[in-house]
Amino acid sequence: MGKVKIKKKETRIDMTAMSDVTVLLLTFFMLTSTFLQKEPVTVITPPSVSEEKVPDANLLSVLVSPEGKVYLEVLGSKDSTMKSETVRADLLKNMVAEYKRTHPSANLAFTNKEIETFSKLNAFGVPITKMKEWLNLEPDQRDKALESGPGIPINMNEDPNNPNEFQMWVRAAYNSVNPELQETMVKGRGIAIKADQTTPYSVVNVVMDNLQTMKMNKFTLMTALKTEED
Amino acid sequence: MAIKTKSRQKKFDTRIDFTPMVDMNMLLITFFMLCTTMIKSQTLQIALPTNEKVEKEQQNKVKQSEAVTIIIDGKLDDKGLSDPNEGMLFYYDGMPETANLAQGESNMKQIEFGAKTGGAYPAIREILQERNKEVVLKIADLKKDWKEMKFSKNEEVNDSIYQEMAKKIRNDSTLKRPVVIIKATPNASYAHVVSVLDEMQINNISRYQIDRINEVDSAMMIMVQAKNLKK
Repeated sequence: MGKVKIKKKETRIDMTAMSDVTVLLLTFFMLTSTFLQKEPVTVITPPSVSEEKVPDANLLSVLVSPEGKVYLEVLGSKDSTMKSETVRADLLKNMVAEYKRTHPSANLAFTNKEIETFSKLNAFGVPITKMKEWLNLEPDQRDKALESGPGIPINMNEDPNNPNEFQMWVRAAYNSVNPELQETMVKGRGIAIKADQTTPYSVVNVVMDNLQTMKMNKFTLMTALKTEED
Repeated sequence: MAIKTKSRQKKFDTRIDFTPMVDMNMLLITFFMLCTTMIKSQTLQIALPTNEKVEKEQQNKVKQSEAVTIIIDGKLDDKGLSDPNEGMLFYYDGMPETANLAQGESNMKQIEFGAKTGGAYPAIREILQERNKEVVLKIADLKKDWKEMKFSKNEEVNDSIYQEMAKKIRNDSTLKRPVVIIKATPNASYAHVVSVLDEMQINNISRYQIDRINEVDSAMMIMVQAKNLKK
């Protein structure tokens, strides 16, 4: 009789093992996770059988919204030698130099603080003349302004000597401090076009044509995986 | 002394209750699971010709007998977006024949693709496979050997030998291979363009290019569509 009563004491389950497992899982997810980057427009890329992965370093991606707005994202190298921040800060400086070449009278200069703000932003896409104003906005207003703004000015331009702003940005990225980015851009792995599957071809064509004008004929298109039996 | 005995009685509960800890961990795991991107998106590499005006003599003229022109057309909805489920394909071999275009007679043919044909694009695949028959058959033979691991027992080595040989077959100029010229109307959806580029890979076509649509093509498309509607 007495023995039975003693056993009744242990109704609680030992959670230590469970805790071990969850901590293990947590560590796994924390180490493997790459967070979803905030993007000004949500795009669903078209499916393709191609199995090449998107490079996660040394990449200039062109985000094209279905309405034809263009945004840019820049990634630095994987190791810490050329961080994305360094590459982006350099990109803005190059862009200013690039812009001044065709608009010598333009009054365009960024303070160190503005350059620092820019270097921390994942995606950008405002006309360069509005850039200063945009960088001085509050973070949440900045996102809103990016969404409602016109994107990077782009048009059908086949004159390489008189580039539009999109072409200037690409040229600025090409002149980057990061030699690896330049190399991947030449090979066609450094420029990726990310467009929604519902985008009319006329919109994508403008971006492709701009790159062609700049003699950057090789680039990649971002797609989602589609499996198909052969 | 009396105090010491009291504390000894309390000692029976030294285990910590881990339930809240587990709760919290689960919550964190859920957060990380939802926020991570496990699947990275894929890429499709393309190379376009330069925009520069090339001298006529320098231009590599595509052999007429090998050329296949595919024109992709789509439909815009009221928001200005192109529906990836609806689309039309037009294709013709060699040069466009426009002698009797007024009567709707030309060598251009129209096929439908998109959701109506089951999401896949069997019609265009058959057409391309027919034109690239020699390469497709050779690759199929090669694939059989690859599946049986005939090149090497090591899976990786087997793969790389297969890829190498497949590439050689695709670029073998002694075989009859088509040159596909892909054109898209402004209304075509981006998804369609990518799926046609995909077909090039699926059918092992090594020579293809994206070109701009010209007046002859659009005129032919209108006539062919009108003729098909009458039927």
